[in-house]
Amino acid sequence: MKHLIMGAAAALMLTTANFAYAEAIKLEGGKATNMVLLPKFLGILVFDQANEGAQEAHKELANSGELQFVGPTPENSVAGQIEIMTTSGTQGVGAIMLSNNAGDQITPSAEAAQKAGAKVVTWDSPIPGGKGEDVFVAQVDFGSIGVVMADMAHSILGGKGKMAVLSASADASNQNAWIDAMKAALAADPKYADIELVDVVYGDDQAEVSYNRALALVDKYPDLGLIMSPTTVGIQASAKAMQDEGLCDKVKVSGLGLPSEMVSYTMNGCAPEFALWDFRDLGYLTYMTAYGLATGQLKGEIGETFTAGRMGDYSIEADPGREGAKRILMGPFTIYNKDNVEAAAK
Amino acid sequence: MSRLQSWEGFLLVCLIVIFGFNAVLTPEFLGIGNQINLFQLSIEKIILALVMTFIIINAEIDLSIGSMMGLSACSFGYLLQLGTPAPLAILICLGVGIAGGFLNGWFVARLGLPSLVVTLATLIGFRGLARVMVEDRGIGDFPEWFDALGQQGLIGPIPFALIAFVVLFVLLYVLLERSGFGRKTYVIGSNRDVADFAGIDTARHKIILFTMSGTAAAFAGLLYAARVGAVRGDVAAGFELDVITIVLLGGVSIFGGKGTLVGTLLSILIVLNLRNGMALLNITGHIQTGVIGLLLIASVVIPRLKLAKPRAIKPEATA
Repeated sequence: MKHLIMGAAAALMLTTANFAYAEAIKLEGGKATNMVLLPKFLGILVFDQANEGAQEAHKELANSGELQFVGPTPENSVAGQIEIMTTSGTQGVGAIMLSNNAGDQITPSAEAAQKAGAKVVTWDSPIPGGKGEDVFVAQVDFGSIGVVMADMAHSILGGKGKMAVLSASADASNQNAWIDAMKAALAADPKYADIELVDVVYGDDQAEVSYNRALALVDKYPDLGLIMSPTTVGIQASAKAMQDEGLCDKVKVSGLGLPSEMVSYTMNGCAPEFALWDFRDLGYLTYMTAYGLATGQLKGEIGETFTAGRMGDYSIEADPGREGAKRILMGPFTIYNKDNVEAAAK
Repeated sequence: MSRLQSWEGFLLVCLIVIFGFNAVLTPEFLGIGNQINLFQLSIEKIILALVMTFIIINAEIDLSIGSMMGLSACSFGYLLQLGTPAPLAILICLGVGIAGGFLNGWFVARLGLPSLVVTLATLIGFRGLARVMVEDRGIGDFPEWFDALGQQGLIGPIPFALIAFVVLFVLLYVLLERSGFGRKTYVIGSNRDVADFAGIDTARHKIILFTMSGTAAAFAGLLYAARVGAVRGDVAAGFELDVITIVLLGGVSIFGGKGTLVGTLLSILIVLNLRNGMALLNITGHIQTGVIGLLLIASVVIPRLKLAKPRAIKPEATA
C-alpha cells in the first residue's frame, strides 16, 4: 500500500513536471547567427550527411548568417579540432557543433569559445568530461546501443561463440560508451552467457588501419565468429577484409554501418545484420538545437522542450552516461538485414 | 652567405604579403587574442623547430621529437595518476627527455649509426613506451596551476609558453651565431672530417645537440599537456614532419652547414600566419596541408633555379 501511494505521488509529480514544460518552444526563424559544423575529420560519408541535414535546417530557418562545414584532416584530427575550435571563438561565431575526436583535450579551447560567446553543441561524440559543452545531441540512447549490438551478436552467432570489437580511436567517447554498454548488456542477461568477448582493438577510423586490425584479429583468434564494429569505417573495412580473404563463412561482421556502404556485404552474407540511425536527421536536429541556443530562444536548461521542425518535439534532459552533462536524445535506430538494406541504400 | 641573406629577404617579403592579405581579408586577424592564439596553437612545434635548426645545420636529423613529446606528456599523466607531486613529475619528464636525447646522440656519435635510422627507431620506441603507459585512455585532471600555465596569460594575456619561446630564441640565437659552440655546429655540419682533423670533439658535440633536442621535446610535451589539459597515447604523433618542414622552409640545408635561426623564425611566422589566415577564412584542412606542401616544394626548388641559371645560358653562348 505504501508503495502504491509513493508510486502515485511520483506519477503525479512527473505529470506536473511535464505540465510545466508541456508547451514546446517554437523556434523563430530569420535571425542571423554564424555557425560552424565541425566533424571529427573530413572525408567520411556520415559527416557529409550530417552536413546535408544541417544545411537543410539552415535554409528552413532562413538564417542569414553563415553555416560553415570545416574539419581537420584525419592524421591531424586532434590538433586540427582544437585549432578550429579556437579560431571559431576568435571569429565570434554564434554556435559550434562538434563531433568530438579529441577527448577532454578539446575542453580548454571549447571553454574559451564559450567565454567568447559561442554555444558549443556536441553531436555524435560528446566531450567525455562534459566541460566546455552546452548540450549533447545524442543519436540514440547509449545504453540501448549496447543491447542492440548484443542482440545482433546473439542472432548472428546463434547464441554461442567468440566475438571481438574493432572500434574507432581509443579515446572516442561515443564508441567507448557503446562498448561499455554492450559489455553491460552481455553480462546482464544469461541468454548471452555463451558469447565471449575476446578483445577490443582500435582502427582509428581509418580504412587501412581498420582493415589490417580486422585481419590481425582473425590471425590471433582462429575460432573467432564475429567482428563487432561500432563505427561505419571499421565495419566496412572489416567486411571487406573478410570478403577479400574468403573468410565470410567463418567470421561474420556486424555493428554500426551505412546501408549504402554495407549493402553488398549484407547481400553476400559477410555482414548479415547491422544497425544505424540517420545522420541527416542528426545534423538537422543538432542545427535546430544550436540555432535555438545561439539566438537565445533556448536557455539550454534541463526540462526545456522545443519543436525541431519536421522532426517534432525534443527535450533537454540530464545525460545518464555523463554526470552533470545535458543531452537531447534523438533515437530510435534501424536494424538492417537482407530484407531492408537494398531499399535503404538507394 | 649572400645567397642565404637573399633567401631570408625572400621569406620576409612572403611574410609581409601573407600578413597583409590576412589583415585585409579577415577583420579578426589583428586582434591581440588571435595573435597570441596563432602562436599558442603551434607553440610546441615552433620551440622544437629552433632546436631542430641546430640538428640539421649539424647535418643530422631527429625524427623522434614527436614521440618524445608524447612520451613526456604521457609520463606526466601516468606519474600524476600514481600520486607523484606535479613538480617532481615535471622533473622526471625532463629527465626522460635528457636520457632519450642522450641515447639518440650516443648511438649516432659513438656507434656512427645514421641519425635517420637511430631516431626512426626511437620514434617507434618512445611512442610505444608512451602507449604502454597510458594504454588506450585519456588522462586528465591535472593540478589547476599546471592547466593555468598552459591556458592562461602569465604576463597580461601572454602565456608562459610564448615567453619561453622568446627567451629560448634569444639564448639559442646567441649560442648559434655568437659563440664557439655555434661555429663548431656549422663546421661539423659542413664537413665532419675536417672538423675532426681540426681537433674538434665532434662526437661530444653531436651528443650535446641530441640531448638538447630530447630535452626540448620533453619540455614541449609538458607544455602540450598543460595547454590541452589531458593526454593520451597519440599526443604529438606526426609533429616531427611539421617541425622539419618549418626548418627546411627557413633555408636550412638538409645536407648541413647552412642556415640561420632568423631564417627558421621567419619560416615559423610564415607558416603560422598562413595557417591562421586560412583557418579564419574557413579553408578546410586538406587545402591547408596542400598549400604548406607547395610552399615547401617552392622553398627547395627556387634556390636550385638560381644555381641552375648559369648552366642554362651556356649553350647559347657557344652557339
